[in-house]
Amino acid sequence: MKYILFALIAAVTFSSCEDIIELDLDNGKNQLVVDGFVNNDSSIQTIRLTSSAPYFSNVATPADNDANIRLIGPNNTTYNFISDGNGNYEYDPNTLGAIDSIGFNYKLEIDYKGNTYTSSSILNPVPVIDSMPYAFEPSGFGTEEGYYTQFYARDFGGRKDYYWIKPFRNGEPVYEDPTFIILSEDATFVGDSGDGLVFIVPFRAIITDQSNPFVLGDTSAVELHSLNESAYQFLDQLVNSSGNDGLFAVPPSNIRSNIFDAAGNPQDEVLGLFSLSAISKFEVIIE
Amino acid sequence: MKKLNLLLISILFTIVSIAQEKFTISGNITTAESGEELIGATVAVKSLGTGVSANVYGFYSLTLPKGTYHVTYSFIGYDEQVKRVELTSNQKIDMELSEAVNEIDEVVIEAEGAEQNVKSIEMSVNKIDAKDIKKIPALLGEADVIKSVLLLPGVSTVGEGSTGFNVRGGGIDQNLVLLDEAPVYNSSHLFGFFSVFNPDAVKNVKLVKGGIAPEYGGRLSSILDVRMKEGNSKKFTGTGGLGVIFSRLALEGPINDKTSFIVAGRRSYADVLAKPFLNEDLRGSRFYFYDLTAKINHRINENNRIFLSGYFGRDVFGSGFAFNWGNATATARWNHIFNQKLFMNVTAFYSDYDYSFGLDDNDPNDDFNWSSSIVSGSLKPDFTYYLNNKNTIKFGGQIIYYDFKPAEASFASDGQTSSLSLPEKYGNESGIYAQNEQKIGARLSVLYGARVSHFRYEGDREQEYFEGEAGLRKEVKSETLNESTLYKANIFGWRPSYRNYKSETNYTNFEPRLAINFSLTETSSLKGSFNRMTQYLHLISNTVASTPVDLWLPTTNNIKPQIADQVAIGYFKNFKQNKYEASAEVYYKDFQNQIDYIDNADIFFNTQLEGDLLTGDGRAYGLELYVKKNQGKLTGWISYTIARTERQVNGINRDEWYPTRFDRAHNLSVVSSYELTEKWSFSANFVYSSGTPATFPTNRYEIQGVVLPHNDQDARNNYRIPDYHRLDISATLTPKKNKDRKFNGEWVFSVYNVYNRRNPFSIFFEQDDADPRVTNAVRFSVIGNFVPAVSYNFNF
Repeated sequence: MKYILFALIAAVTFSSCEDIIELDLDNGKNQLVVDGFVNNDSSIQTIRLTSSAPYFSNVATPADNDANIRLIGPNNTTYNFISDGNGNYEYDPNTLGAIDSIGFNYKLEIDYKGNTYTSSSILNPVPVIDSMPYAFEPSGFGTEEGYYTQFYARDFGGRKDYYWIKPFRNGEPVYEDPTFIILSEDATFVGDSGDGLVFIVPFRAIITDQSNPFVLGDTSAVELHSLNESAYQFLDQLVNSSGNDGLFAVPPSNIRSNIFDAAGNPQDEVLGLFSLSAISKFEVIIE
Repeated sequence: MKKLNLLLISILFTIVSIAQEKFTISGNITTAESGEELIGATVAVKSLGTGVSANVYGFYSLTLPKGTYHVTYSFIGYDEQVKRVELTSNQKIDMELSEAVNEIDEVVIEAEGAEQNVKSIEMSVNKIDAKDIKKIPALLGEADVIKSVLLLPGVSTVGEGSTGFNVRGGGIDQNLVLLDEAPVYNSSHLFGFFSVFNPDAVKNVKLVKGGIAPEYGGRLSSILDVRMKEGNSKKFTGTGGLGVIFSRLALEGPINDKTSFIVAGRRSYADVLAKPFLNEDLRGSRFYFYDLTAKINHRINENNRIFLSGYFGRDVFGSGFAFNWGNATATARWNHIFNQKLFMNVTAFYSDYDYSFGLDDNDPNDDFNWSSSIVSGSLKPDFTYYLNNKNTIKFGGQIIYYDFKPAEASFASDGQTSSLSLPEKYGNESGIYAQNEQKIGARLSVLYGARVSHFRYEGDREQEYFEGEAGLRKEVKSETLNESTLYKANIFGWRPSYRNYKSETNYTNFEPRLAINFSLTETSSLKGSFNRMTQYLHLISNTVASTPVDLWLPTTNNIKPQIADQVAIGYFKNFKQNKYEASAEVYYKDFQNQIDYIDNADIFFNTQLEGDLLTGDGRAYGLELYVKKNQGKLTGWISYTIARTERQVNGINRDEWYPTRFDRAHNLSVVSSYELTEKWSFSANFVYSSGTPATFPTNRYEIQGVVLPHNDQDARNNYRIPDYHRLDISATLTPKKNKDRKFNGEWVFSVYNVYNRRNPFSIFFEQDDADPRVTNAVRFSVIGNFVPAVSYNFNF
């Protein structure tokens, strides 16, 4: 919303500008990065390990294949993640079953270069999506004509929930920009008072791209992922740091990881996130 | 016995000589043209080497031994008047001074007002006259009070688009901005591009950066005292202007021989002009701002005068989603002269500062609104007692009652409504002070005194937090609700209510103040000062530039009062019969309880906001050089400041000192104005400042396809963005004044940012659109081109 305001001012009054410039930055040390988003689906679960690199290295950060990764579930079941040689450590739910004990606090352990890193996450429940109605809309202010879908789901009352809403069009994400991450606290933007409500309009409608709505024959789908608080904070900070520009930028700051060195040495700090979600899905074909 | 008699006689003689009769002349000094009070006009008796200045209401009082004198009344820019006075009893002498006519052939006008630079006890003070403000070329041709203040030594901002300014290393919330004695919380329209002060209605602006007298309190770094005109008491006149962004009109005049008024307003009309060109869906969008000042004053009798004034200003921006903020103040003042030596002013004001944003579509089923406000009321009596011509005593006090509504939000989704608010907080700030300005011998004057300030926090609850690791969010340990008593009234159907919370949280601070002026020669002096200031209101903002929706919070049991101690020393000299005034000042400031934020602080709508705040120490020091040419065809000033301001907060930057966001090492302003002929005059100003600090990353990593920046030293403000410099010029064309015609006009042509520099406001990092693996450093400039403008000013 700050961005909209600024755009208005700029349009009305002067032309502000943004120019790409050359900068020389100091290079810091490289650290282990864990991209660990795991869910209760029956598809293959992947945790990716890479290493951080100097800021302007401008290539994919190098993968790291030297680790042992495992997830500990109920009754001490150990789910091992096996490296594919390219930094992607995979677990196939067909072997020991899906990671789906709602309410259980799963533990992650990573052995890397003589250190063990741990994290934990409770698998939070996710509400069922009731329906996805759609309708044809003519073009309007900032919107194109086409089919607009919405999804209806009700947040669980009496508890604080965090969700990641992922909309799809024909199997691909609706929004190409990976920094466009849709997060909600209960059913709204703001805390407690969204508790127990149906997801509010901005979230229901965001699953359709207003500049490119659906046409006949498209499949509109949505995945609702439950998140725990540290994953929500991480993703929220990730979104803020990507859109952090213009008049109202906040000082950039490091995003804290929820994965810790078991021995507690600060120089062996790890970056990234371990997040465990339950998913509910719904899809509809426009016809 | 003889010895005793001798003793008694000598005592008698001493008593008699002490009791040599003294009488007081007092009165008001005003301009002949409009009747406006001349603030700071001097009344001097050269033969005695003594004199006094008129106060902000134009009142002076001078006590002299019985005799005959030539009393000189003067003020810079006005013809001086000398009056022969036979002083055999107390006399009331009011004086009118006429504006000096500017002769083209450089007649040097002896304006004794200019020697105030050297003679006055004040140091670290800059005054700007309304005429100077209008000469400085400005953005879009709109002369601006705050933009003029930025050109003074010791004053800087973080860039265009910042709503406030920084004085001597202090944050933007550390300036007490007063409009006729009532505080203004947000002194700008449109994100700092224009200030809320209408230059047509402004009489005088004074910025006090150090050596702050005990009569002022409540903010750490400066006092910006803006006085508006009282209204021409001689004839009805109007002034106004038509500009590119907004237009203004001020009307003033006498209602009868005891009353005069002034009404001044401005409104922007970019939205009205643009409407026919917008396409249908944008037609509902609104973007405008306005301000209106209305004042009336009435002289009840020789010893009593009352003033009533109101200020209303508002900014509205939005389309589908609207921002709305504004200040409204109502002030009443009463001047009472008890006797020739005792002057009193009592001010009472009510102020309402509110800001909000929300959906603009009038759909009750799906809606969202957030608003915040500070309402305050105050009573402030001030007394000046002119004891004798060597001692002027001032004393008084102030009590301010605050009602903070930090946030109220309501929204509806699919017909279901919900609302949430942060609890209302109240505060009670008070202060009493006493000071004496004393002349000791021929060379030394000293102002000494103190202020005792007190703050009581009255919120509905008090939260206690766990200490935790420095730099991390603190969790709430306990929350105690305070007892309260509800007072209700029923006044002919109006039922106001007020809930008074009992609270133990209160703070008292003793603030000593001292200023010394030692005359070295007739034209030079050495000045020194010390002041301790306390601040009980805090602006919570973690963005690079402040936004209008930043939060003001009172001191609580967790947020302690901010304290600053400042020492300053300066050398002041005037050259060529006051044609040039120059000064060099050095200062050092020590700050306590400065507020900073944890990384990723959640400022917006957080019921446990105090857990995201960190406090630490600050320090600032610098050298300010200033030279000003007051007379002649070419006038203007050069100011250069070299300074540093830093903080140390546990949990930030590995607990080491780091520069604040507004630390600018070098700051140069050159302001000039040249009157070529009666018809044409030109102005130019050039500013240069060092780049502001910024936090840059050292590494990158990828999560879910997003490239994230990382600083492996956890540093804050480890780099500086490039320097800022800019040249503005303007030309004013004043067609010949036709004496028979009442209506006069002038055209102003201006260019802002003449050589088109893209001054960086900030540098941020983002993934490249074409190849997301590539990250770019992007320089963001608020104004990237030169901005020409034409405006027309008139008066009648």
